[in-house]
Amino acid sequence: MSLSTAELAAISVAARWYARLQSGVATDRDRREWHVWLNADPAHRQAWQRMTAVGEQMASVPGALASPALRGAGRSRRQVLRSVVMLASAGSAGSLGWLGWRSETTQNLFADLRTAVGERREFRLADGSSLLLNTDTSVNLRFDGRQRVLELLRGEILVTTAVDRSQRPFKVVTAHGEVLALGTRFIVQSQTQGAEVAVLEKAVEVSAHGADRKVRLEAGQRLNFNALELGPVGRTDASTGAWQQGSIIAIDRPLAELLADLSRYRTGVLRCDPRIADLKVSGAFPIDNTDRALAALESGFSLRVSRYSRYWVTVSL
Amino acid sequence: MSAHELSLRSAVNDLYCDHHGWLSGWLRKRLNNSFDAADLAQDTFVRVIKARNALEIREPRPYLSMIAKGLLVDLFRRRSLEQSYLEALAAMPEWQHPSLEDQAILLQALMEIDRLLQGLGSKVKQTFILSQFDGLTYPQIAERLGISVRTVNNHMAKAMEHCCLMQIQLQLS
Repeated sequence: MSLSTAELAAISVAARWYARLQSGVATDRDRREWHVWLNADPAHRQAWQRMTAVGEQMASVPGALASPALRGAGRSRRQVLRSVVMLASAGSAGSLGWLGWRSETTQNLFADLRTAVGERREFRLADGSSLLLNTDTSVNLRFDGRQRVLELLRGEILVTTAVDRSQRPFKVVTAHGEVLALGTRFIVQSQTQGAEVAVLEKAVEVSAHGADRKVRLEAGQRLNFNALELGPVGRTDASTGAWQQGSIIAIDRPLAELLADLSRYRTGVLRCDPRIADLKVSGAFPIDNTDRALAALESGFSLRVSRYSRYWVTVSL
Repeated sequence: MSAHELSLRSAVNDLYCDHHGWLSGWLRKRLNNSFDAADLAQDTFVRVIKARNALEIREPRPYLSMIAKGLLVDLFRRRSLEQSYLEALAAMPEWQHPSLEDQAILLQALMEIDRLLQGLGSKVKQTFILSQFDGLTYPQIAERLGISVRTVNNHMAKAMEHCCLMQIQLQLS
């Protein structure tokens, strides 16, 4: 192996940071300290990228299937079956999706506010702010005397902030970074790979956990970010936030991307034939009845929707 | 072709003629299946050719059986993982019958992950799986396994470092 001693050492430290941040109980202080370490040396950043590559490989399989299969390898059949039964009774097998394999992790089950796959629900918070949770979303509330923090564990939220009498700052924290509200209405979506924020009214300030730069986003602007960097600022359009009204609006969108989006609203696997992944589709697709959305694709674009079961659907030519 | 290249080729050739039959028999005894035995015997010689060290092999049969043993272990692991995978799949009624192509992709991905995890202690591996695939927090894992949160944290760091080094190694080879 052609790694230097310094590289090996950086990997070892990066692994400890990764472990600390994955605990499910990491604090803001942990993240601040990690941030300092990350930016202290380019070698740290490289080692960190290696950790995220490992994380991505793990995320490439459905957890509910990987867990019993990997634990069972080399063990007796009875033990395997037992772990599968345990898993099933914990309810983890319920909502698998090609892109959201781990939608029902225990962490999300214990969140303060959550929605199931396909569900949308509005909540009014103690300070008067309102919160609309899109499909398969988990949020923790951490309001105290100093600040109002929403921890977006996964999924997508539309936040409409209220003016706070004690002027506490309002922010949304994701695994990738933070969005500080500046009296406003905005949408934040967080996934394993990264997060997206779109501003509908007024402005927000976005920062990634691992970058020093902060970006102010005004109404009509959006951007993608992950823990390491903020993407370029783009414009919102008719499709932004259309889920509030129960649809996805697509304008010349690659089919694979649209299906990935649709699959957030249904349980099971929704696959796209790689040969037509780039096919451009347009239209409004209902998210409260994704079978109807699939039927629209079938008739409107002469595609074939094959159902192996309710939970395994492939779209092809 | 250089003289060295020529003698290397002839050494591999001799090795194959003298020991291929013996190696196939050795593998058949352990596999009870002549097709798999023939495949693994072939794979063993492919390894020898790739290693380009045929001229230095002093004791061919122990050497060949050492390589073959490694391949056997890999094959058994793959079978065992496949078995667990199929059982896990069967235990999920909704999944029913995904296309064979999709199953092959999943199984392949699982095998690659299984390779990364090879060599980890059982508690460390269990911790890693509970965190990465079952989505448990460290306090939950600690409770489940009867260890301290600190130990869970140490296990996770160890597992991540191990997987990272394995991933780099597999990419290089």
